[in-house]
Amino acid sequence: MLRAYLAFAKKSFLQKSAYRFDHFMGIFNTILRIFIFWEIYQALYGGRAEVDGITMSMVTTNFILSMGLSVVFKVNDFYLPDKLQDGSIATELLLPVSFHGRMLASNLGSSLFQLVFHFVPALVVSVLIMGMEAPVSAPMFILFLVSTLLGYFVLWSISFLMQMMSFWMLNVWAVMTIKDVFVNVLSGSMIPLWFMPDWMQGVLKFTPFSYIYFTPVQIYLGQLSIKEILIRFAMQAFWIFVLLMAGAFFWKKGQKKIVVQGG
Amino acid sequence: MNTKKNTLSLAWVYTKMIFHSWFQYRVNAVLASLAVFCREATGILVIYFTLLKFDVLNGWNMYELLFLYSLLFVTYGILIIFFTGLRDFWKIVRNGTFDRFILRPRGLLFQLIFANADWFAAVGHGGLGITLFIISAGRVGIVWNFQTIAYYIAAIIGGVLIQGAIFLFLATLNIYLLETGSIKELFYYNGRKFAGYPISIYHKGIQFFMIYIVPFAFVNYFPAQFLLRKEDMMYYPDIYMYLTPVVGVVLYLLAYLFWRYSIRYYKSSGN
Amino acid sequence: MSFIDVEQVSKSFRINKRSAGVAGMLMNLVAPKYEKKQAVKDISFQIEKGEMVGFIGPNGAGKSTTIKMLSGILYPDSGKISVNGYIPYKQRKEYVARIGVVFGQKSQLQWDLPVIDSFELLKAIYSIKEDVYKKNLNRFVDMLDMGGFVNQPVRQLSLGQRMRADIVAALLHSPEIVFFDEPTIGVDVLGKETIREFIRELNAQDQVTMLFTTHDMQDIEKTCNRLIIIDKGSKMYDGSLQSIREKYGTERRLIVELNQEEELEGIEGVTIDNLENRKKSLSFDNNQVNINDLMNHLLQKYSIRDLTVSEPEIESIIQKMYNGEV
Repeated sequence: MLRAYLAFAKKSFLQKSAYRFDHFMGIFNTILRIFIFWEIYQALYGGRAEVDGITMSMVTTNFILSMGLSVVFKVNDFYLPDKLQDGSIATELLLPVSFHGRMLASNLGSSLFQLVFHFVPALVVSVLIMGMEAPVSAPMFILFLVSTLLGYFVLWSISFLMQMMSFWMLNVWAVMTIKDVFVNVLSGSMIPLWFMPDWMQGVLKFTPFSYIYFTPVQIYLGQLSIKEILIRFAMQAFWIFVLLMAGAFFWKKGQKKIVVQGG
Repeated sequence: MNTKKNTLSLAWVYTKMIFHSWFQYRVNAVLASLAVFCREATGILVIYFTLLKFDVLNGWNMYELLFLYSLLFVTYGILIIFFTGLRDFWKIVRNGTFDRFILRPRGLLFQLIFANADWFAAVGHGGLGITLFIISAGRVGIVWNFQTIAYYIAAIIGGVLIQGAIFLFLATLNIYLLETGSIKELFYYNGRKFAGYPISIYHKGIQFFMIYIVPFAFVNYFPAQFLLRKEDMMYYPDIYMYLTPVVGVVLYLLAYLFWRYSIRYYKSSGN
Repeated sequence: MSFIDVEQVSKSFRINKRSAGVAGMLMNLVAPKYEKKQAVKDISFQIEKGEMVGFIGPNGAGKSTTIKMLSGILYPDSGKISVNGYIPYKQRKEYVARIGVVFGQKSQLQWDLPVIDSFELLKAIYSIKEDVYKKNLNRFVDMLDMGGFVNQPVRQLSLGQRMRADIVAALLHSPEIVFFDEPTIGVDVLGKETIREFIRELNAQDQVTMLFTTHDMQDIEKTCNRLIIIDKGSKMYDGSLQSIREKYGTERRLIVELNQEEELEGIEGVTIDNLENRKKSLSFDNNQVNINDLMNHLLQKYSIRDLTVSEPEIESIIQKMYNGEV
């Protein structure tokens, strides 16, 4: 069983590697994006040592980690929509492997590729140019890795739920684009969430977005106590659970729709 | 004379057809316009929240930054009506539509432009540009008189031509390369993102890139400087504030020559 | 000089060669390999006005490349092409106004819109005069029996209907030459027949010069008198269908599907092979064995579910050519 999923993961891993030049340019683009935000914040800091207790180096760490991870976390939002549109979903459902398992496996495959061949080189170059905070301690670093993995699943679950909309909509591009706006603005990858106004911080507490990149970043920087970390883990798990359950609910409803249409 | 009339009426038939098929998917089309509007507003939200905290960026306040940004969107809104076919040129080549254009007795660029004009993305981008302009133009201390309005219009035309030239150049690259997504990302979309901020905050290399390689600085930074006269203009020659239309025309001509040359190559290499 | 004159034309492409697997991927990242593929090799032929010529050959033989060069999409690497005095890849606008091209696999119709809208667009593109447009449209719609669906969106059409609409789209401007690239691919038997009938009539009535590529022998048999066979970029044969028939087109195959598993007894002059699922293949020479007698014989003796006659396939004809049986 696992081997079947591994095959899907491997396939998407290999697909990712098909375009050589494009890939190198992609790495360069990622570094450039981080660099630009770094420069904007250098201008904003204007030589100040810290703003609200946040040093420039912490800001740099936030950008390198969250923008770097965003290339790994990239979810194919159109996995299900594409299969619904070309009708291949009907045959896919007959395969002896879980469709959701395939969705995840193929995403993990391309994420692994991105981690090794995109994130790591981009990280190394970025750190050489801009520098970055070192991990506070080995145990903290391990907790950071755990919350990063959870953050990945939070984002994947958001996409999973949104993809279910394709059962009811002909074209989900618009919805996915609007979803991305929320993720980009509210996850901390473009505005470090420390600098959000208080009312916005309040709103953020009730959304899953800050648990994608910002929680891992805070843990990495040692900003959270063990108790706070455990609460964040619980919140990450809570959001994954809620989003997946909602997704599974719509999946069930949507699947009936295919059967009714005689697909 | 007759052909001119023919050309105009063909452009009209294309346009009618685009609206006709839009009408078939109007819910989707409205949603898509909304999505484009939201996506492009991301950069503005980032500026808004950041400046709420920091007040000024290298001497530019929030409204001045929004004015700078509005120039980008107004020009892009106009551009995208005509240049969607160039943005999507790789698809048009790959699905064989370009071969079909070659088989029709009409100009290739003409067909590319009018068969793909995207009036609805234009509403999303242009709408955002106009909104930003309205919010900011009255609050940045510009005296709107004949001179500044004439300057503004010339700058918009130049800005459209500059970006049109970049589009045309990048589209042409598709004839040589299988995949150009990242090059486009680098030269166009990154350039546009950088141009959202005063280029004076950037590393010298990036400033050079924005002025001399992919001259986005002439699309919004230098025109905004003419109207706002911020302190950081002292780093650049004053003449740059007047060059936008010239840069636009020259760059477009160069891109067009490259296009002409590459069509010959396309016909000899196949795809 | 002939109407269409092709002289020693060659064309090759450069393709990126990828190896399989993770190791291959890494290799391709570091050092991509390119391979030169000769698509067309030294081809020459002449076609007269009003002729109807079939280009036949297996997939990748160079048929489409030849059509692309003739229609001006591609330059030849070497050699000369002239069509009605034009050099296709040089005087593009003047030339393409006089030709029509149908790509069986790539529709030129607007997917979301009614068929008639695409025709109106073509009218504007080719600046077709109102009366000519009306006359052509009515005539073709009538001949191809399209009245029922000209006002339907293209996306709702069957493949056969779409193909008919695409053929009309290529003819509205009264071209002197029409290139058909696989005009019957994927179309059902009845649809194919309609298309062939139409092509035949058009050629007979209007003296339109036609070239078409196919890998379906039936297309050629029912439309063309002249046949050019291409394989691996080279011209293998140029001549009448009749003579190629006489030379080695006499082998036929009959596929028999039985209701139950049983062996067939030997029949004189017939080679019997077992296929899967109770199917047998019977090959024989058309000149020696009468096909009707053979079918009667089988129907009387066995319980038969299905009988199909298969024509000799282009691949097997080419194989014979290589074997020197021409």
